Amino acid sequence: MAMKETMGLGETELTLGRKIALLNWAIVLLVVMLAAIGCAMLFSAAGGSWDPWAARQAIRFGVGITGMIIVALMDIRFIMRWAYLAYFGALALLIGVELAGEVGGGAQRWIDLKVFKLQPSEVMKVAVVLGLARYFHGLTHEDTGRIVYLLPPILMVLAPMALVLRQPDLGTALILGMIGASILFVAGVRLWKFALVGMAGLAALPIAWSFLRDYQKARIMTFVNPESDPLGAGYHILQSKIALGSGGVFGKGFMNGSQAHLDFLPEKQTDFIFTMLAEEFGMAGAVGLLALFLMVLAYGLFVALQSRNQFGRLLAFGLTINLFLYLFINVAMVTGLIPVVGVPLPLISYGGTAMLTVLLGIGLVLGADIHRDFKIGRRGPEED
Amino acid sequence: MSKRLLSLAKVQQQAVDTGRTRLLVGAALMTLAFGAVGFRVVDVAVFGAGEPKRAHGQSEVVAARADIVDRNGLILATNLKTPSLYANPKQVIDPARTARDLVRLLPDLDPIETQRKLTADSQFVWIKRDLTPRKMAEINNAGLPGIHFQDEERRIYPQGQIAGHVIGYTDIDGKGIAGLEKSQNLALTTSERPARLSIDIRLQHLLRLELSKAIDEFKGIGGAGTIMDVRTGEILAMTSLPDFDPNHPGDMAEEAKFNRASLGVYELGSTFKIFNTAMALETGVATMRSGYDASQPIRVSRFRIRDYRGKNRWLSVPEIFMYSSNIGSAKMAMDVGTEGQIDFLKRLGMMEKVGIELPERGAPLTPQTWRDINTMTIAFGHGISVSPLHLVAGVGAMVNGGILRRPTLLAQETDAPAPGTRVIGEGVSENIRKLLRLVVENGTGRNASAAGYLVGGKTGTAEKATARGYARKSLISSFVAAFPLHEPRYVIFAMVDEPKGNKRTFGYATGGWVAAPVIKSVIERMGPMLGIPAVDEDSPEIRRALAVEDAGLTDQKRKKRDASF
Repeated sequence: MAMKETMGLGETELTLGRKIALLNWAIVLLVVMLAAIGCAMLFSAAGGSWDPWAARQAIRFGVGITGMIIVALMDIRFIMRWAYLAYFGALALLIGVELAGEVGGGAQRWIDLKVFKLQPSEVMKVAVVLGLARYFHGLTHEDTGRIVYLLPPILMVLAPMALVLRQPDLGTALILGMIGASILFVAGVRLWKFALVGMAGLAALPIAWSFLRDYQKARIMTFVNPESDPLGAGYHILQSKIALGSGGVFGKGFMNGSQAHLDFLPEKQTDFIFTMLAEEFGMAGAVGLLALFLMVLAYGLFVALQSRNQFGRLLAFGLTINLFLYLFINVAMVTGLIPVVGVPLPLISYGGTAMLTVLLGIGLVLGADIHRDFKIGRRGPEED
Repeated sequence: MSKRLLSLAKVQQQAVDTGRTRLLVGAALMTLAFGAVGFRVVDVAVFGAGEPKRAHGQSEVVAARADIVDRNGLILATNLKTPSLYANPKQVIDPARTARDLVRLLPDLDPIETQRKLTADSQFVWIKRDLTPRKMAEINNAGLPGIHFQDEERRIYPQGQIAGHVIGYTDIDGKGIAGLEKSQNLALTTSERPARLSIDIRLQHLLRLELSKAIDEFKGIGGAGTIMDVRTGEILAMTSLPDFDPNHPGDMAEEAKFNRASLGVYELGSTFKIFNTAMALETGVATMRSGYDASQPIRVSRFRIRDYRGKNRWLSVPEIFMYSSNIGSAKMAMDVGTEGQIDFLKRLGMMEKVGIELPERGAPLTPQTWRDINTMTIAFGHGISVSPLHLVAGVGAMVNGGILRRPTLLAQETDAPAPGTRVIGEGVSENIRKLLRLVVENGTGRNASAAGYLVGGKTGTAEKATARGYARKSLISSFVAAFPLHEPRYVIFAMVDEPKGNKRTFGYATGGWVAAPVIKSVIERMGPMLGIPAVDEDSPEIRRALAVEDAGLTDQKRKKRDASF
């Protein structure tokens, strides 16, 4: 890039016009396409009506994509300066939900903001990436090898995990753990430490099992053998698989998914929307959607590889992992590869917080791309 | 200083390399996982890898059947856990004594049959199903070896007889064998969600009550009634009398099993003039101002078509409808022609079973060869037999602006108009509404006029066909009504099978005397129940909207026509 020569340590400024030119508009277009597919599916889920889902989702997307572009254009050093604050803000929200949250679906996960209900655990997924990226940016390679320096980031991951587990939301807690682990991995933490933690985790599994709620145990047992309880906990998965199978290669056509429209399919507007898409547009539609997502993910990894600053690299990688986990867990769940955990399909499923945080995350990745040639000192943007 | 900087740069470079390598490893892992999921999607979607397979020999799941509720969520069918008694003959030590003890505790068991069961070469025989907890305790206390209980789900219908024909019933193994229990068997056994019916149990009760009063008063042998929402096709009430209690399907009379509303097909008589008139107006062979000579009976070979209390003069189309003239109707039908009539009735669904969610649906009876005489008699509802549900669906289309909607017993998600097929134009539908109002205001339907609800309707009094022609004294007396006519929402039908006239009705047993009052009583109570606002029927706007201009032909016009014919 021509700019490269003129950039010094933390000195170069990009004009707004230049940033807009550098913004990857192809990805913005991809995101718009995905959201449009989501709205179409919600329109169909409501039996061909904008109410109650599609219209609201479209409005949220409008707000979200504006926020995404604003975030992308922000100076990465500015974001870095506020990264810890974002992390602790999200942590405070999680504590808030513990104290005053609203119970929905048997779990305490929401904060009612009147305008919409905020799910702090979703916000935390982005915030933990910001916090960890900021932390590791400030470490030297040797520091990363020292156990003392590993304690703060591990705490930064465990604290929100514990709070989310208390809600209780096992799925999100595990996702937070995986995001944390992947950032630690890319930051260069020694492999034998991962092995050690992994073995400790395995050893703790029986203890963890005894702490699981009955419904969580039931879900895992049902996953092992869904046919054992076709009318109870296995119902979701069986209906989902029947719907997927009934779609065939090219599907039944838009608004013609009988499993979904006859309400055999549970939660069709949220967690099981992929099933509905596969029923209506078939294997071709489902694989097509996955291909669109794959492009976004590939872009995120590309940004991580290209970034010349550690913060941007870890940020892009962590957020890509976050998006990937959403997608992987959701699709694996509805196809019966893993037990039912309530994870939405990003940009497609109905739900405000998930959509906003996913868009925010993509915005941060786009921003990391724009600022990829910035070199930022270890102590942060204030240095020099 | 510069050395330190150099080594720092080296370490930094190393860190970047590690990071980069690990990033690539991470990307590779993600690609793998992504590939696995993609493969799984194709696998499940195309090869149906997830289809449940029942292991060989595994017994069928004793699944709780879903509840059935009415449109307001009131329970119409649910399950009760009851113990059933069975024996394992291989474990029974003394069959004779065991049988004696069982018969002592359960006196309706047959002693010989019970002993035979207990000595059977098997490991499982039912002794008695659905016991009370008290009986179970008594049998347990008897301490009989080889005698066991199994919990079963028994189907309970808290509303008893009121909607027996609609709901139907199950066999002892919980499989639906009649009514919605049969047609919805799959949904009830696979979904936990209750089946929500379009039936409003309050209206169901009301309709059944008023109809049974009329049957009692006129000593009818049975009857049928239906209320339909003309915008959605939802059946709000459907009754057939005599009916039965689905809690005890074994005790019912054969006669009571017969659903007159959907399975029975009848020549419904003059109510068919609604369709005949609409057909003439729609095809354009007649207008509201046309007139027909009804002064002489029509003779066709050995048949004679006469008017009941004829006016013996020229009649306008509204008059033909209002006075229910057979002659005028027959002439209108002949103007349309046989082809046109068949086509119209086909479009109205009168030539096939009604598409409602009941196994008990009657196929219409239509002429095998459709001659002119058939065309003429069908004009006034003879020579074609349809179920009351056919009629209600058809009349719904006549008044709702011309859209024929499939009647349904399942509650619709929304209140919005359901899709349907257009059978007549908006303008024709408006004229039909005016004509129906005319009948209730001035014609044979005055007994149906529930003040404030703008009722319109048509009587039907048909002689029942027997092996030897039509029976003068065996009537099917019916009334079909729609209200409120300025924005029609409901069609109500009531029919009494073989009513006998009494003193109060001066010996008459016609639709106007027998069925119209049923409609009136039902609407008078249904209106407040559903919060339908009553209107001032004499307000100028309403009068103008529903008035038939020029109901009778002026003498001058009649003369003109006479001259021109």
